[in-house]
Amino acid sequence: MIVNVNNLVKRYGDLTAVDHLSLHVKEGEIFGLLGPNGSGKTTTINCILSLLKHDKGMIEIFDKKMAPDAYDIKKDIGVIMQNVAVFDELTVRENIDYFCGLYIEDKATKKKLVEEAIDFVGLKDFVKFYPKKLSGGLLRRLNIACGIAHKPKLIILDEPTVAVDPQSRNKILEGIVELNRQGATIIYTSHYMEEVEQICSRIMILDHGKIIAEGTKEELKNMISLGEKITVEAYGITDKQISEIKVIPNLHSVTYSDNNLVVKSNKGKNNLENILDYIRKNAINFGRIYSEMPTLNDVFLEITGTELRD
Amino acid sequence: MFIHIFRYRLLTLLRDRTLIFWTMIFPVILATLFNLTLRNIGENEKFNIIDIAIVDDAGYQENTQFQQTIKELSEGEEAMFNLILIDEDTSKDKLLTGDIAGYILVDDTMKVVINQSGINQSIIKIFLDQYSQTSSAITNIIMENPSAMSDVLSEVDSREVFSKEVSVSDAKPDSSLTYFYSLIAMACLYGSFFGLREVTDIQANLSNQGARLNMAPVHKLKSFLYRSMASLSIQFVEMLILMAYLRFGLGIDFGSKIGLVILTVFVGSIVGIAMGAFIGAIVKGNENSKVGICIGATMTGSFLAGMMVGDIKYLVDKNLPIVSLLNPVNVLSDSFYALYYYDNYDRYILNIMILIGFSVVFCFITYLILRRKKYASI
Repeated sequence: MIVNVNNLVKRYGDLTAVDHLSLHVKEGEIFGLLGPNGSGKTTTINCILSLLKHDKGMIEIFDKKMAPDAYDIKKDIGVIMQNVAVFDELTVRENIDYFCGLYIEDKATKKKLVEEAIDFVGLKDFVKFYPKKLSGGLLRRLNIACGIAHKPKLIILDEPTVAVDPQSRNKILEGIVELNRQGATIIYTSHYMEEVEQICSRIMILDHGKIIAEGTKEELKNMISLGEKITVEAYGITDKQISEIKVIPNLHSVTYSDNNLVVKSNKGKNNLENILDYIRKNAINFGRIYSEMPTLNDVFLEITGTELRD
Repeated sequence: MFIHIFRYRLLTLLRDRTLIFWTMIFPVILATLFNLTLRNIGENEKFNIIDIAIVDDAGYQENTQFQQTIKELSEGEEAMFNLILIDEDTSKDKLLTGDIAGYILVDDTMKVVINQSGINQSIIKIFLDQYSQTSSAITNIIMENPSAMSDVLSEVDSREVFSKEVSVSDAKPDSSLTYFYSLIAMACLYGSFFGLREVTDIQANLSNQGARLNMAPVHKLKSFLYRSMASLSIQFVEMLILMAYLRFGLGIDFGSKIGLVILTVFVGSIVGIAMGAFIGAIVKGNENSKVGICIGATMTGSFLAGMMVGDIKYLVDKNLPIVSLLNPVNVLSDSFYALYYYDNYDRYILNIMILIGFSVVFCFITYLILRRKKYASI
C-alpha cells in the first residue's frame, strides 16, 4: 500500500473538517478525491503530508509512519499545492532547479531531471521567464514542474487546474496520466467531476469531511438508482402531456423547463424509443435530442441531495 | 545542500527590488539628505576670528600697555582678533557695512562701539571689561604700594587655573555624528525586512513556498539557518557600502577604530535580522502588517536615539535610561559614539553585550516557534 490512512479526524474548534476518514491508495493508481469546496479534501491532504496536526487517526506512506521529519518518505513524494508556490525572483528554470535541488544533490542528475521536467510541462520556450510574465496556465505548469522534477514515486496534486484555460487543463491532465504511466502513484483532488472521471482509476467522494462513496467510476454509478438521462428540446408541452409521460414504465423522473424535457430512467432501463414514440404520436415540435449515462454529479446528487457544484 | 540553498537565496533576495531599496538605497538617500542639512552644524560651532578696528588716535598711541595686549591677541595661530587701525569715521563706515564686528575707542574710559548684539560683540565687550578691570586693579595696587609692582606683574603673567580640561580622546567634537550614527543603527535594524522574509518563506502557514519547502526532505531549521546566512551576507555588504559612502563620499569620521566599527555593524546586522525573524514568527497577521511593525519599531527607536532631533537622545538617556538600554537603535548608535569619543572600551563592551543579548532573545523565541513541525491550521 502506498498510502494508508485509518480513522483520520481533524477538528477546527467545533467544526469537524475530516470525520473518521479511512483511505487506502495502491501502487500505480490514480486516486481521485472528489468533493465540493470545503468538503475536507485539502485538509485531508495536509494531514497526510504531516503539515497539519490531526486529532485522531493513523497515517502511513510507503508502509512507514508519516511524520514531519520523515525525510526518507518525503524524498519520494512530490506535492503540487492548490496555490502556486514558486519564487517570483527566480526564472522558470531556476525555480525548477531550486526545488529539484532540495531532493537531488548530484549536479548531473539534477540537471537532467530539470530538463526533463521542463520538456514534460512544455515550458522550454519560457525557461528564462520570471513567473510574473507567465499566463495562469503556464504558471500552473511551472508549479507542477517544481513538484515533479525529482521523479517522485507518489505525486499529490491538490486542485492543480483551478483557474486554468482549457488548453493548459488538457495538457495538465494528459501529463498526470503520463506520469502515472511512467510509474508514479497519483492522488488527485478536484471539485471538477469531469476531470476526476476522465483520469482517475478509483474515486472517493467527500462531503462535510465524510466519505460518501468510494470505488471506480462504474462502481459509483452502479450505486445509484438512476439510469439513462434523455434530454429533448421540445416546445409547448402541456401539464397533461407531462402527466402522461410520467406513466411510461421504468421512468425515474420527468421535468420540463425552458423548453427542455428531461426524462431520467431507472438503473439499467432504456426509454429513448418510448419517449420518441410519445412525441411523434402527440405531434410535439422538437429540436435536439440527446441521451447520456449518469455522471458523478448524479451520484453526488442522489446521495447528498445537492449538486456537486453547489 | 548549503551551497544550493545559500546560492539561490542570494539570487532571490538580490532580485527583490523593494527589499534592496529599503535596506540599502533608502539609507544612502537619507544619509545624503542628512549631509545636506547638517553640513554647516560643525562650521557654526567653530570659533571664527573677530574682525575689529581700533581708532588710531592720540589715546591709542599713548596707551602702550593696551597696544601690547591687543597685539598679542591678534597674532599667531590662535589669534582672537583680526585687527585694523583706522580713524573713527572709517571705523563707523566699516561697522555699518558689516566689515567689522565693532571698534574700540581708547581713551580714559575705553569704549566699544557696536551696532548689533551677537557672540562676537559680546566677546569684544568681555575682553575690554576684563582689560579695564585688570589694568585698573594693577594701577591702584602700584599707586598704593609701588614696591609691589614686580610681584603684581608676575602674578598677572602666571594666572593659575584651578580646574583642568581633560579630553577622553583625541576625537574632535561633532554634534552631527549623533544623526549619522543613529542613521547607521537604523539601517542595521532595517535588516529586519530580511529576517521577516526568511520566516515568511519557510513557514507553511505563512506562505505557499513555505508549505512546499516543508515537504522537502531538508531539515527546516537547517534550511532556515542557511537562508538567514544569505540574508546576513547581503545585509552586511549593504552596510559596508553605506559606511564607505558615509566615510569617503560624505566625509563622516568614524574615528580610528575602524575594525571595531565594522564589528559593530556586523552585530547590528544580526540584531536587525533576528528582530525581523522574531516579529515574523510571533506577530499574527499578514506580511504587510508585520512590515509595518518592523518599520514602526525601527523608526520609533531611531527617533528616541536622536535621528530626527539630536537632543532627544540625551533627554531619554537622562530621564528614561531603561528605554535607552532597551532601544537597539540607541545601543547601536551609542556603540559608534563610544568608539569615536572614548579611548577606553567599557561603554562599548557593555553596548555590544546588550546587542548580543537582544540577538539571543530574538533568536531563541524564533527558534521555539519555528521548531513546531506541524501547524494547527494552514
